[in-house]
Amino acid sequence: MHISADMLFWIQQKRWLLIALIVGAILYFFVPHPQSLGQDGYHILIIILMTLILILKEPIPLPAIALQLIFWQVIIGGSSANEVGSYFMNDAVFFIMGSLMLAVAIVSQGLDKRLALGIIRITGNKTWRIVAGFTAISAILSSFVGPHMVTAMMLPVALTLIRYTSNKGQSNTGLIAALLFSIAYGATIGSIGTPSGGGRNVIMMNYWAEFGSGSLSYIEWMKMVYPMVLIEIPITAFIILKTFPPELKVLDRAVRHLSVEVAHAGKMSWKEIFSLVLFAAVLYGWIALSEVYGLGSIALMGIFLYLTFGLVSWKDLSRGVNWGVILLFGATISIGVQMKNTGGAAWLAEGSVNFLQVFIPNIDTLRAVVSVALSGVLSNLLSSSATVAVVGPVVLNLGGDPILLGLASVISSAFGYFTAVAAPACTIIYSSGLVKAPDFLRAGWKMAIMSVISLALVALVWWPLFR
Amino acid sequence: MVATIMTKKKVPFDPKSLKFLTAVSSAEYSKPTLKMGALIASVFDASHGVVYVGERASEFHGSSVNLTRQNLDNWNIIHPGLEVLEWALKELKTLSPENEELAKIQFNPDHVYEEDGRVRVILPDDKGCRIELVLREGELVDQLRKEIQLEGYDLAIIGGSQNKRHLAHSILQYLPSSIFVLQKFNPRKKYKLLLLVDDSMATIKSIEWGALIAEKLGWPVRTLTVSKTKRFGAGYQGAADKAKAYFDSRGIEVEQFFLTGDPVRTFVEFAGDNHFVIMGASTLNPVKQFLFGSKPIKTLEQTDVPILIVR
Repeated sequence: MHISADMLFWIQQKRWLLIALIVGAILYFFVPHPQSLGQDGYHILIIILMTLILILKEPIPLPAIALQLIFWQVIIGGSSANEVGSYFMNDAVFFIMGSLMLAVAIVSQGLDKRLALGIIRITGNKTWRIVAGFTAISAILSSFVGPHMVTAMMLPVALTLIRYTSNKGQSNTGLIAALLFSIAYGATIGSIGTPSGGGRNVIMMNYWAEFGSGSLSYIEWMKMVYPMVLIEIPITAFIILKTFPPELKVLDRAVRHLSVEVAHAGKMSWKEIFSLVLFAAVLYGWIALSEVYGLGSIALMGIFLYLTFGLVSWKDLSRGVNWGVILLFGATISIGVQMKNTGGAAWLAEGSVNFLQVFIPNIDTLRAVVSVALSGVLSNLLSSSATVAVVGPVVLNLGGDPILLGLASVISSAFGYFTAVAAPACTIIYSSGLVKAPDFLRAGWKMAIMSVISLALVALVWWPLFR
Repeated sequence: MVATIMTKKKVPFDPKSLKFLTAVSSAEYSKPTLKMGALIASVFDASHGVVYVGERASEFHGSSVNLTRQNLDNWNIIHPGLEVLEWALKELKTLSPENEELAKIQFNPDHVYEEDGRVRVILPDDKGCRIELVLREGELVDQLRKEIQLEGYDLAIIGGSQNKRHLAHSILQYLPSSIFVLQKFNPRKKYKLLLLVDDSMATIKSIEWGALIAEKLGWPVRTLTVSKTKRFGAGYQGAADKAKAYFDSRGIEVEQFFLTGDPVRTFVEFAGDNHFVIMGASTLNPVKQFLFGSKPIKTLEQTDVPILIVR
């Protein structure tokens, strides 16, 4: 057979798809399922392994990865098409869809210019105060609206400051990294603060409900997790300033330019005011009514109002939302549920506990370590939401308190500081081209140590007061 | 098979129809590459495209990145990577101060055409300069290949890379054009043109290209024919003779060398650090090239001089 250069190139580009299929086929046809795990559970784990390879290397488009998850569950996973479909859409997926749409709706209002002015008024023109201010504002906003929206709004502010900063021909790499990482890491540490801070939080809440593991209200979640966000904010700012010392102590000229640019925006229009009021209503709904109506349906109600009042067009929404991601989350959650139903999750959980018990005899510590390590490591390779969707069912089968272990897993899935792929905020600043991959490592290891210590502190000192 | 060298009697190829593409990465590292790209394009009177290939965000967060970029537009902050193309245009103007048409072309980051992951800068004042500025995102070889296929480029000009082994394999295997790799290229250095001659079909075109470069740049020319055995067959000898005849017919002085030994090692040793190597692309089938490499791939991997591989 003659293989042309085009074919060879296709094979080279798709090699990870071929590897995933070959690994899957070998396990399916030649390796018998373990005695302690049923055939369906084994097949579900094979599908998950193939999917992890595909998500990690992206040899095919994201929506295609989602589609293969669906049909494999039906073909080899022992599930019926209706069963897979029934888990596909739920409140978590509604929430992810709604929050992506809300981000488009809010960002398109141009409210970031008001936000910039507000921040600068608080921080003044000293660099360390601006970095600390960016970290704090990003963290607090992200805890309610998610990191992607906050970073989309904050990045232009930082880039405008950078554009107008003159350092007499010298490089500003420290200042640039400090400003950009204050947004990315600020938004990332904040995203654990409330259920609406990220898709993964809602995925975990969905698993708790689906597996009958209990529940946490919006306020209860905040009470348990927000102190950790508050502890992390000043330390994060400190780590960033020490890792990337800014070349300039004062950004006087840049701040003046930014103020002038923002002043051109004029007075707030009724559209901006109304859009803020609507968003406040959505936020109120999440806090006060999500236990009854769910976070997803409230987000979708908000979108309905934005569309109805002409604050955003459907064209903008459909263009700005990555529907492939929504498809993937639906598919990942459905396989997560199948992993639980077929015993695959319990088998993995038991296997990890048995293997690691030799090293860590205390079972509570062991469960916590497995939960944190699994989520923390995987989130640096996949995205944090995908990590929770896959790891969640395993963690909830470890035994112990599923709420505490679930929280530990969700929180540690936000420890994706080492790479640009883990968190949307990190990807966004990386895509600016102004920070490099090694910069994530330089600051990431310090952030990871700080976060693990903060989590341990909160889990050992604060959480016992509630459970 | 003995290659037939084109002589004056035959219709020579039309350099004006050629399209060259220079890949740049930054103002800091790509200055020599762009300079050589512009020079070679002017030698051939070819149209010249400049492409910047940036990193593509993970598809997982693609919509967040797009949302941010849309918002950056509202703040008049240009798409990352466009500043490299802006620099490239400025640099091209500096390199050709006599080109009045080029001087008139203005870069406007708002005048871009975005399609299928490719951003093309619209240059409304381009009247006859035949300049293209393109931004792409993704894996370098994949994007260069797409650009070459889309626009039908004849030559891709790229800088050297740290990851030389992987790059050599990928670009020579998968880029469907001639390739010019500017390894450790020093614009101030006086190079000798070293043409590797054998009996392959690709040698014909490499001789034509080499002659044009030597003619325009006034570089001394050497041809090197390497045989694994002490005996040079009729094919090799004939190809070398015809190459000489072609250069003579154009009035270009040429020094001929015949050496024996391992071809790649001999090329590399002979090239040293002061030659500009031109050789034909391999005609081996793609699978053999992938598994065992080829003379151009191995030469590119082992030399530290600029090398033009003509397809």
